[in-house]
Amino acid sequence: MNWNLFTISTLILTITSSILTAILLSFGKTPLHRVWGLYNLSVTLWGVGGFFAGISRSPESALFWWRIAHLGVVTIPIFLFHATVLFCNIKRYLLLTLVYLQGIIFIILIPTNMFFSGIHLIFSQFYFPLRGSSYNLFLLLWILIVIKAQYELFAQYRKVLGVRRTQISYLFTALIIGFLGGITNFLPAYMPTVYPFGNLSIPLYGIIVTYAILRYRLLDISIIITRTGIFIAVYSIVLGIPFVLAFGWQEKLINLIGHNWWLVPLISSTVLATVGPFIYLYIQKRAEDALLKEQRKYQNTLRQASSGMGRIKDLRRLLQLIVHIVTRTVNLEHTSVYLYNPANKNFVLGSYRRRKESDFKIPEAIARETPLIQHLTDSRDPLVYEEIKQQAQDFGDRNRAQLELSLRDLDAAVVVPSFIEDRLLGVIVLGRKKSGKLFSESDLVVFTILANQTALAIENAQFYEDMKKTHEQLFKAEKMATIGTMADGLSHQINNRLHALGFIAGDALDSIKMKKETPMPPEIKELISDIEYALGKVQDNVKQGGEIVQGLLKYTRKGEEGFSAVDLDKLLDASFEMAQYKVKLNQFAIVRDHLPNIPKIKGNFTQLQEVFFNLIDNAHDAMMQRKTEKNEPDYKAQLKISAIPNGKSLQIQVVDNGIGVKKEDVDKLFTPFFTTKLSSKKGTGLGLYVIRKIIEENHGGHVDFNSEYMKGTKFSIELPVLA
Amino acid sequence: MPKLLIVDDEIDVCDFAKHFFTKRNIEVSVASGGREALNIIETQKPDLVLLDIRMEEMTGMEVLRQLRAQNNNVKVIMVTGVEDEGTLKESQSLGVKGYIHKPLVLEELEKIVMGELLEK
Repeated sequence: MNWNLFTISTLILTITSSILTAILLSFGKTPLHRVWGLYNLSVTLWGVGGFFAGISRSPESALFWWRIAHLGVVTIPIFLFHATVLFCNIKRYLLLTLVYLQGIIFIILIPTNMFFSGIHLIFSQFYFPLRGSSYNLFLLLWILIVIKAQYELFAQYRKVLGVRRTQISYLFTALIIGFLGGITNFLPAYMPTVYPFGNLSIPLYGIIVTYAILRYRLLDISIIITRTGIFIAVYSIVLGIPFVLAFGWQEKLINLIGHNWWLVPLISSTVLATVGPFIYLYIQKRAEDALLKEQRKYQNTLRQASSGMGRIKDLRRLLQLIVHIVTRTVNLEHTSVYLYNPANKNFVLGSYRRRKESDFKIPEAIARETPLIQHLTDSRDPLVYEEIKQQAQDFGDRNRAQLELSLRDLDAAVVVPSFIEDRLLGVIVLGRKKSGKLFSESDLVVFTILANQTALAIENAQFYEDMKKTHEQLFKAEKMATIGTMADGLSHQINNRLHALGFIAGDALDSIKMKKETPMPPEIKELISDIEYALGKVQDNVKQGGEIVQGLLKYTRKGEEGFSAVDLDKLLDASFEMAQYKVKLNQFAIVRDHLPNIPKIKGNFTQLQEVFFNLIDNAHDAMMQRKTEKNEPDYKAQLKISAIPNGKSLQIQVVDNGIGVKKEDVDKLFTPFFTTKLSSKKGTGLGLYVIRKIIEENHGGHVDFNSEYMKGTKFSIELPVLA
Repeated sequence: MPKLLIVDDEIDVCDFAKHFFTKRNIEVSVASGGREALNIIETQKPDLVLLDIRMEEMTGMEVLRQLRAQNNNVKVIMVTGVEDEGTLKESQSLGVKGYIHKPLVLEELEKIVMGELLEK
């Protein structure tokens, strides 16, 4: 074997480019990917040929392999140019044809003396071919094609924005590295004293370009260059100093410290190799801090904001704060937050901020079934408009084109999903940066963190608001109960005052009446008649006041006082009788269905009458609402009351076929002051509250409720029977 | 002279009721609580008792029950603030002569009381 720098570099090159070829030709999705695969195949050919030529012992075998290698060399610029044309999406049919044509001509010439005129040994290491008569032209065209490709890239770079621009900057840099290195392979043909040292840059080039084409979210090229530069600088020192010490200063060291001179390079290399990585990381961090100063600054602000959000309890304020902070710190054109609304199955605009006036109208809601939301739910990753746009164009992908449109509707540069576990709670829509810069990978990481913190904070705030509502309802109920207890005591007190007042007025009036016939002066007589009139009015008012208090007391009575055997039939009769003063009973059919001698209820007749009166009243309203609102020609309103004895209790069902109650209202139905009834005409929201109180607290029974919108409502009441 | 006992923990009610019936030549005594009422009934043997149901120390119903338990069949008229089926039924079964609602109409009271007192 003939191992030297050249053969080693060609071997590495062969391995990397054959891997790239395999990847691109098997997984490539577009013509660009495939042509780039062919380019890498050419490089592989050059690598294989160069390697075997390098290890060849005989000039004949070396020449054969050099010819194989040059099949690759000739086709390299062709595929490079073709790939560039595809990448830039430009039309260069004629030029491309000419490029292919010259390639074919030179391929034909390769086996002849016109390409290689002979072969000779260079650097006493390996055989290198001598150029034939057409070689100069070949090399000239080769260089021109590469320069033309580079020029097209440059022209495109000035035209485009976004992801493509970043990609081009990668390709441009890579091409310079690759071809400056690769071109050293031609040098021995002209200057046999120059070693083809730059071979290794060729695989580097292939790797960079393939990465840039396949990946859309690229790091800023300045960062890559800085990192590479620092790496090379640091390691040249780390490896270079011991190298120089060992080989250059060997003599001096021996003179200085004798035969243990080798300790110096050994120790220095150990020390340097140990501190090297630290120095590298330190310099890299400082350099990147400087390069990304602005970005780091707002990313830190956002991180801090994320962690503080959980403390905000007011949902509206929270959303406003999020859009405010994001828009201001990242310096965006606009920001908005959409929140999932389970009732309508869509995402509703929660808060929106735009920094400069614009005609653009942000949509008020995004439907859940749109491709955008589906994509976010599936991928869980932020969507970047520039990437989607580029991918839609590169792959001709319909789904991506649709996504691009939805993003454009939102005027979005980035859309970040906000998840809690598997639930997509919201979507944060970011406008473009005012600087025109793209969103970097680390930006997206920060935004993802922000979005997830936001989701937590939103859920927190929503939970808090729900709790507040429940608390308020509970508080109201509690207040009602307190008022109930108070009202009981109060009404008795007021009643007693009225009672006393009635006595006082009545007695005074009585005295006046008794003395009426006694002779007295006319002015006194008139005065007495005035007083008599006034006392009569007092009595009237006492009577009226008494009636009001009686009404109040009806609601507040409790305890076992007044419990007796209640006959259901009599109870229902009395309830319907009471109801007929309020509603017209002939508007619906009444069905009463129970056995004639069911056991008597152990209960308070008046209270139970109140219960059934309320149920009849509610059923009537529900049925009339359905009748007037829905206009169904065949609708026949019907109220059915049935009862079945069940051990120690009586099961009573009150079923109507009215409008029913919507699902979301069912839970709140027994809460005081909650009403589904329309308009001001009725519905204090107290009816069902009182029913439950009377049945469950006063009678130890149970009331249950079942309702379906547009089907009707069923009340199941369980009341104890007399033993 | 017919004797009437008025039982009510409202002093104003007692005073004016006493005045009202005194004018009608009735000997009126008053009690502001159940225990006092039971004492007076035992010592003075009134012909009729006007008994308020809701009182602090002892309710009218308790006074009535105690009276009947002692086989005292003095005529009683109940005065109540609330219409209550159970109380109404119990007092009927304990043989009360009437059941009057607060606030009362004086003429009605007069009619019932005078009727009961003049009956004997």
